[in-house]
Amino acid sequence: MTRRGTLLLITAMLLSLGTGLASAQDRIHGYLNETALQVRATPGVLHKREILSTRLGQLTRALAAARNMPLTSAGDAANLARIADTLHERSDELAGVNGFERVPDDQLDAFASYIVQDMEQADRTVSMSLVTLLLIIIIVILIA
Amino acid sequence: MTPDTTHRNSARPRPALWCARAACVGFGLLAFGCGTTPPVREGAVDESPAYTMVFVIHGDGNYHYHDDDGNDHAADRETVAKALAIARDSPRAEVMIFHESERRHVLFFIPRHDGRAYHYRNGRLIAESSYWRDQGVAPFDPEVRLYHAFSAGRPAPPLRLFLYFGHELPELGERGYDVSYPERTVTIDDLADGMEAMAGDSTRFDLVILGTCYGGTPRSIGAIASCARYVVASPDNLHLSYFDLEPLRSLDDVARRGDVASFADHFARNAFMKLSDGVQTGVSVAVYDIDLVHPFVQSVTGTYNEALLATGSRADPPRERCDCAEDARYRLPGIDAGVTMYYRSPRFGRQRTNQEHSGWECWRVRAEADSSSASPGTAADPETTPGS
Repeated sequence: MTRRGTLLLITAMLLSLGTGLASAQDRIHGYLNETALQVRATPGVLHKREILSTRLGQLTRALAAARNMPLTSAGDAANLARIADTLHERSDELAGVNGFERVPDDQLDAFASYIVQDMEQADRTVSMSLVTLLLIIIIVILIA
Repeated sequence: MTPDTTHRNSARPRPALWCARAACVGFGLLAFGCGTTPPVREGAVDESPAYTMVFVIHGDGNYHYHDDDGNDHAADRETVAKALAIARDSPRAEVMIFHESERRHVLFFIPRHDGRAYHYRNGRLIAESSYWRDQGVAPFDPEVRLYHAFSAGRPAPPLRLFLYFGHELPELGERGYDVSYPERTVTIDDLADGMEAMAGDSTRFDLVILGTCYGGTPRSIGAIASCARYVVASPDNLHLSYFDLEPLRSLDDVARRGDVASFADHFARNAFMKLSDGVQTGVSVAVYDIDLVHPFVQSVTGTYNEALLATGSRADPPRERCDCAEDARYRLPGIDAGVTMYYRSPRFGRQRTNQEHSGWECWRVRAEADSSSASPGTAADPETTPGS
């Protein structure tokens, strides 16, 4: 791990202890919520689409990076893969590939809300180890 | 505490001693002082309540969601606040609210209580207690004990409701439902056992409201059948904003008329409309008349359990959720009996073309999926339900 990564890990640990350890899901939901707010605040259709595409791609890559870290357990990797698969499907739907109809231009705001709400349902809490959780926090901080 | 002879004759105790005493008192308060709160108000609480509501609200996990303005909501705390408001505004009710929260620590080491209970009668707060959720053999033992302590042997009112809000209750013994107790297993059977212990022998709750994802499966409804007459549940995903609780304010009329079926339908329809207005995801709210759905549940239990057990509880292997009506093995005569379903498909995603739902959610192994009977563009697709 690089010096910067170590520093971020320690910072994230201290922050976690101080704030009551927000879960990895919270971070992911927060990131998607920011995305939806950006989309709604943007007037241009092309720009909306670009924001969605870029940020979905960034988050998918962040989860893939966390999944491939040697410290990530098999169980955590499976949970991360499931979330990443869902995000990948949303990207496909946005672009209209892999059997999806392309999201119409006039529904991009609603689609951004759908992405957030789909993640925030009363199914199961995705439990992850502290190490994986911290990795995600670091990566999300890095890509933000 | 043993007298401190060293400083017995000192005019002013040392600061260190004060600190030690303060720490002892603080620790004592933390450890024991929150155990029970004495009655807040005394007085006109002796009128027999016409109905009772028992809320169990799980908050030991991730329960945050965002509205369209980007505001963060804590689903469990907001549900507790709504339940408290209803309890205060229900002069003919007995209301017990149990909030299961994440265990936190003071100064990283001293554990704080992870459960909080409220007991209202006739709109007045009778008792408020903090409790430990790990004091019992079964997960809901602490709530059952408090329920009986609050009831104090009084006969149950003629109308009884039980409401549970939380994440999907596993149907197999899986760990991780409670973030604070990662090794503990919690299942729908545990909830059913807790409800039975509260309901007492040979009686049932008139209405059970199951505010979770995937509450409308043959297994889950079958588990709570012995302690419920009617159930309102979501067979598919349920957004964390849950069901609207406002109809509970009209229970006075229901208690007078005794028409639980109409109220259950009113509650479900209202919840459906509120959710449909607020979310882009799918909305499914169903009412189950337990006596009428029992034959169907019995007839598919074997197939359902086989699919449930086929691939283990938490694995990736090829099994998927589906509307029971999409699979010929579940699509038996009587599947519609006793079910009133309110459904709107998600605005996006693979299931957006689904026009209806039977009210029953099942498991099937993908390799054995009855693709020929699947709805177009949905069930035949090897999609894994997010987060399930």
